[in-house]
Amino acid sequence: MRLPKFEYHAPTTLKGALRILEQEGPGVQVLAGGTDLVVKMTLGRLKPKAVVDVKGIDGLDQVRFDPNEGLTIGATARIEQVASHTEVQRLYPALTAAAGVMANVQVRNMGTIVGNLCNAAPSAENAPPLMALGADVKLVSLKGERTLPLDDFFRGPGLTAIEPGEIMTAIHVPPPLSGSGNAYQRISARCGVDIAAVCVGVAAVFDGSVCSKVRIVMGAVAPVPMHATEAEKLLLGQKWTADLLEEAGRKAMEEARPISDVRATATYRKQMVNVLTVRALQEVYERAQTV
Amino acid sequence: MKQFNIIGTDVPRTDGEAKARGTALYTDDMKLPGMLHGRILRSPVAHARIVHIDTSRAALLPGVKCIVTGEDTPKIKYGNWRLFPETQDELPLAVDKVRFIGDEVAAVAAVDKDTAEEALALIQVEYEELPAVFDVDAAMQSGAPIIHDYCPTNVSVNRKIKYGDVEKGLAESDYVREDTFTVHSVSHAYLEPCSAMAQVDLDGRITIWTSTQAPYIVQCLLASTLDMRENDIRVIKPYVGGGFGGKMELRTWEFCAAFMAKKTGRPVKFTLSREEEFLAGRRRHGMKIRSKVGFKKDGTLVAKDLSIQLDGGAFNAMGPTATFLCGNFGAMLYRYPHYRFHGEHVYTNKPPASAMRGFGAPQSLYASEIQMNLAAEELGIDPIDIRLKNAQVTGDEIPDVAVVSSCGLVESIEAVAKMSNWKEKRKSLKPGRGIGIGCYSFISGGVFNWFNTQYPFSAAEIRAFSDGTVHLLTMASDIGQGSDTVLKQILAEELGIRMEDIRMTSADTAMTPQADLGTWGSRVTLMAGNAVIDAAKKIKEQLFGAVSARFNLNVVHDLECKDGRVQSKAKASYGLSFGEAVAMVQKANRGEALVARGSYTPRGKGLVTPAFGFGAQVAEVEVDRKTGLVEVKQMWTAHDCGTVINPRSVEGQLAGSIQMGLGYALSEQFVMEDGKTLNTNFLDYKMPTANDMPPSEVVHIDTYEPEGPMGAKECGEGLASPTAPAISDAVYHATGYRCRDLPITPEKILEGMKKGK
Repeated sequence: MRLPKFEYHAPTTLKGALRILEQEGPGVQVLAGGTDLVVKMTLGRLKPKAVVDVKGIDGLDQVRFDPNEGLTIGATARIEQVASHTEVQRLYPALTAAAGVMANVQVRNMGTIVGNLCNAAPSAENAPPLMALGADVKLVSLKGERTLPLDDFFRGPGLTAIEPGEIMTAIHVPPPLSGSGNAYQRISARCGVDIAAVCVGVAAVFDGSVCSKVRIVMGAVAPVPMHATEAEKLLLGQKWTADLLEEAGRKAMEEARPISDVRATATYRKQMVNVLTVRALQEVYERAQTV
Repeated sequence: MKQFNIIGTDVPRTDGEAKARGTALYTDDMKLPGMLHGRILRSPVAHARIVHIDTSRAALLPGVKCIVTGEDTPKIKYGNWRLFPETQDELPLAVDKVRFIGDEVAAVAAVDKDTAEEALALIQVEYEELPAVFDVDAAMQSGAPIIHDYCPTNVSVNRKIKYGDVEKGLAESDYVREDTFTVHSVSHAYLEPCSAMAQVDLDGRITIWTSTQAPYIVQCLLASTLDMRENDIRVIKPYVGGGFGGKMELRTWEFCAAFMAKKTGRPVKFTLSREEEFLAGRRRHGMKIRSKVGFKKDGTLVAKDLSIQLDGGAFNAMGPTATFLCGNFGAMLYRYPHYRFHGEHVYTNKPPASAMRGFGAPQSLYASEIQMNLAAEELGIDPIDIRLKNAQVTGDEIPDVAVVSSCGLVESIEAVAKMSNWKEKRKSLKPGRGIGIGCYSFISGGVFNWFNTQYPFSAAEIRAFSDGTVHLLTMASDIGQGSDTVLKQILAEELGIRMEDIRMTSADTAMTPQADLGTWGSRVTLMAGNAVIDAAKKIKEQLFGAVSARFNLNVVHDLECKDGRVQSKAKASYGLSFGEAVAMVQKANRGEALVARGSYTPRGKGLVTPAFGFGAQVAEVEVDRKTGLVEVKQMWTAHDCGTVINPRSVEGQLAGSIQMGLGYALSEQFVMEDGKTLNTNFLDYKMPTANDMPPSEVVHIDTYEPEGPMGAKECGEGLASPTAPAISDAVYHATGYRCRDLPITPEKILEGMKKGK
């Protein structure tokens, strides 16, 4: 289909980009990797009157780890950049796992993690691990900047907390605490070039074998990535046992509210939430013991 | 084994470099001056009367040059079974009725693709919806909606085979079992979507470049639907990015490109989108298979009663041939003294199914191979042993079909059992691991002539030149399987020249000798190969005569073409270079060029096929018992394709077959709701990727097929059958879940394991 007519802006400063957003008003879209936006435009599903390409803005493509501040992923950092980052691989295996398997090589080389979040697909692969890791996102507009927990970011399929005039400039992930671990598990019909039919991200902190903090986030089982709150409650402050994990898996399964679609039935998705949650919890525990 | 020079060596494919570099031109790469771009309007409803079509708004859109609907066309039906005109049920554009979601209703040609696309949205069609049916059971019920007026039962083809006495055989059996299987529909998913570009010349003749497996069929059917003469149509096949059976008929866009080129005087090109291919493209038949088999206590097969209903979709397409063949595949692998088959091709309101790699064999053999294992288990016989007991061997006669003139099935089964360490593994694998077997037999081309050609099935022309080169012309179509390379190899072997001495023109109906039925049924190597040898022998006769005269040889001298020379076998110095020998022939004929034609039409080989390929495959899988996901860890294959002409090409066929079999067994399916395909892209149509491919080992069983060129026979399609049953059997071995309804999904495995407990 013919691309609709639109203004194309390629500012070189963040300020410039924000001004354009303000001037253009509603109907403007931010372009980073373009792996979602351009596809939607080509299919006629999105007809922006203007596009602001932020790839030319210096410093937005950073992936930086600092032991005190944690991990910062800039708006134009490519998925592959994050997946292959050595500190990310060492400390955030959940994120490496999600970023490293999603879509295909071409999309990982073009697309961005921030874009994956802003696109807000219920199946967005990076959302569950980042939410589990307690990430927050930085939203900047001409009026100023605000930081929002990723937990509060998703509002529905394709809907987010981004206000008109705002750009997500970075994702921030806190540094991992000692005795913590994180993991990502997914189900897909192929081992490469695929999308998760269901996925789970988990991060937890342990005091010996007692769980002192845990976050379990499920993807593709609801309109937005969601916490398995009951499962989290169950595990908190408890001694880690196989029975407890099984129970947590069952709780997560009960909480998931999936639909049936071309990728899986609701029943299977629920079952798999159970399996993946248990597996991710096991992985997290093992990792925590070795850190 | 015969000694060859070029045959059996890994000659690089003649198209390899062009494809690797991206310089190979496919139809959609081509542009002609003034060319228009076509798009097709498709039905959004599964079954409806067309009340009215209004194209007036679309016609006003700037850039739109031509709009056609069924009413504008000559309304001449077509179909590949010309011998039985009543089976020709298709029109290029719908007239009066649409029969499936995606059915072609109108076509637009405009200055660019986007304009054509926008014009589609402006065409208004008023439909009066009719009740629709989406499976064979519903379609065959009395009172079911009638899809074609001529066919009130919705069963368009009935095929029966009968030999021996099935009732008696079953009565005499010690053990009888009856099973029902359902197998699903999958996409060819060729990487090059269909594309056609047509141009009309000053005399009104048409040249069409099209992504096809069968230029001759397109030529003939395009001529008849346009009400023109065959020779007024020239079909050229450029490079083709795969077909797998999905490109062997005349299709709407080929007709529309030609028809609209005639109307506008400008070239017109149509290229389908991937979404169109998945939404409305041809596909493998889903089938419902009922099979009753009888055995003796020791596992000897006695009788089989097989009935199959093919979900044909809205038109016959290649369904009649598939109906015919799956009956033959039901009794081609093992010896059945008593056999009965009833096949029914059933219309439903879905996209037409058609030929797809295996042509009925993957479905038919899935059922018979799984049933063989079910029986083996109950009889307490190892699956390998029960197969060895019943396997066809060279010299067996398949009643009413043919004598099997070469067969390496027993050797294949023995080889895979050994390679895979079957006896050991079948007993002692860790939980979640499993090993399974599947076997196949397949045709090397068809003897049937439902297309009703008046020409040889394959033909070749060779022009020899005094500079030592030759020009090979043949209508045989290389669609990626490598026939251009293989035919050159055969010719180089026969004439004792090098690959680079051969210039080749193929698949151009105006330039290459009549005719060739196309690339399907694994017929090209055998049939076109034989035609090339026939022509080459005629060239050799002339060359031998010239050399014999030049050296005044005694008539008892044997001559040969070898290493670029034409010479006495006994004394090589009595000989000339190939070019000098050609020059001698030309001189003797006062300058007349040295040209010969050859052809092949199977004769005295029954009515099914001139030769059979065989093989066996073992799969080892690991099943995640919690998620139901299957990982195929290893495939072992042993097969008999006669002489291996090009080992690398044969291994390529095997890899492609495993990839397709993997998808067929585990991940590929059309997700449909009320006749609408929901997964119309590669994200959700789960075709396995290179990452999903298991390691694979292969043994070529050494046989020589007397009917084949240099002893060769098929290897392109038979191998598409054993993978799914082998994986399925391995999954059973690993989990206890026996799949009777493909595909094997994780959910079915989990459910099956629960029941097993």
